[in-house]
Amino acid sequence: MKTLIFIAVCIAFFIAAPLFIVIPMSFSNAQSFQFPPPGYWLGYYEKYFTDYHWTVPTVNSFVIATATMLLTMVLVVPAAFGLARNRFLGRSFVNYLMMAPLMVPHIVIALAYYLFFGPLHLTGSHLGVILAHTCLSVPVAFLIVTATLKGFDRNLERAAMSLGAGPVATFFHVTLPVLRPGFLVGALFAFLHSFDETTVAIFIAGGDAATLPRKMFESIRLESDPVIAVVSTLLLGLVLAGTVIGVFVRQRNERSSTTHAD
Amino acid sequence: MTGRRMLRRPAVRAWLLVGPVTVFLAATFIFPLVEILVLSVSGGNHWADAYVEFFTTDFYNIILLRTFGIAFLVTLFCLLLAYPLAYVIVRVGGGLGFVLLLIVAMSFWTSFLVRIFAWLVILGNRGPVVGILEWFAPEDTPEVLFTRFSVVLGLVHGMIPFMVMAIYASMRKIDPNNLRAAASLGATPLQGFRHVFLPLSLPGVVNGCTLVFIICAGFYVTPVLLGGAQDQMIAGLIGQQIEELLEWGQASAMAMVLLFAILVLYALYNRFVGLDKLWG
Repeated sequence: MKTLIFIAVCIAFFIAAPLFIVIPMSFSNAQSFQFPPPGYWLGYYEKYFTDYHWTVPTVNSFVIATATMLLTMVLVVPAAFGLARNRFLGRSFVNYLMMAPLMVPHIVIALAYYLFFGPLHLTGSHLGVILAHTCLSVPVAFLIVTATLKGFDRNLERAAMSLGAGPVATFFHVTLPVLRPGFLVGALFAFLHSFDETTVAIFIAGGDAATLPRKMFESIRLESDPVIAVVSTLLLGLVLAGTVIGVFVRQRNERSSTTHAD
Repeated sequence: MTGRRMLRRPAVRAWLLVGPVTVFLAATFIFPLVEILVLSVSGGNHWADAYVEFFTTDFYNIILLRTFGIAFLVTLFCLLLAYPLAYVIVRVGGGLGFVLLLIVAMSFWTSFLVRIFAWLVILGNRGPVVGILEWFAPEDTPEVLFTRFSVVLGLVHGMIPFMVMAIYASMRKIDPNNLRAAASLGATPLQGFRHVFLPLSLPGVVNGCTLVFIICAGFYVTPVLLGGAQDQMIAGLIGQQIEELLEWGQASAMAMVLLFAILVLYALYNRFVGLDKLWG
């Protein structure tokens, strides 16, 4: 067992360690990707936060991911209710349709959008990227919202109705508060899915609508721009912070649920 | 029938709820895919021209085979690395298991571009690996970056979290009492693993392998950034047809071949396991 633990730790090291090389790289003063760095400075951080070639894609990514998240939830939440609580003709078709975007390789979808959005003047526009990302985020949000709905005890609603609450009041005072955490997770996944999406953005998010992953892809492929190290470090920092917050929230929830049990 | 009474009918109410997303996906998903299907058969004199060209050109066939070869290799390496890791996370558990799981989750959430950039630095001409190799073999230092090795390494590193998560999900459901029962009946730990734990963890292995293989076969970013011309995969080829050659018909036919191959895999998975279990 000791050998096995050692092997597992080595594999975990292989997974985690390479990522951290981006941190010293971001403080490097080299013109290209050189490790170990010849010297250190903060100039590339300044460049990232002031050069519009980087600030515009960053803002775009946040705007597009937020809009994608909202549109995805507006489409997915009613549909998840409709599918979870009704038997109707076409139900299994809709179920498959909502998962289908997850099954098609992104390069195929990228090609389809490139050709479909071109004549509609949607390539290189925020709207085009938002529509494309919403299509890709629907399955992810749908999986999470559906899982949340399956765990919901409908007796809570029946109890509210039997006490005289109408369907609308029941929804807003009983159903929604219970399901809200699951919905928020679904929304977060939709946001991150869009924020992280690269392949489709490479082909349709040109010009003013360039997203951060597209800009990163271009800067790796075409220019070897050292600012990429700064962006990578900041993104890694966000993931680390998110992981720590996630652990913290979970522990707090577990503690509060055990005190309730007492 | 009045509107109010219509609304009470369950089917009508259900379609009001699922209607918007259905219309949205029909317009932004089905329609564009149908369009490239049409485009792939309408370029030449005969509907199959683009497909015939694809399957009779050696250059394209090699790339198609290479794509599945690389996807297979990556899946195999991911499995070999992910299984022991998931095993320790589940069976040892405690603080160590938690930390290992956090590392996997952290990698899962890190952008592919960040990981690719890290490998570009590590394997690059002015990076540590080449530095060490130069020290050992100053005369003919082998190329590391933009080779088959760097593509497979980058893909394995990127896909491991998917594999670990899939295997972990099925291992977690295994009741440890099964192993205790096996031990009490005289099984050695190895026999217990081989005859009890391993078979019960297989659904996770199948899930992980299916996911990793399918994602790899259609992956664009990693092979394009970490590979050379000799390592081009089909997604990169489609991208090149779009960006450089403006060959929409040929690109569409290639996309349809890739999509078809992947749908066959999904159909096989659905036949033997059931599609609803894949993302569970």
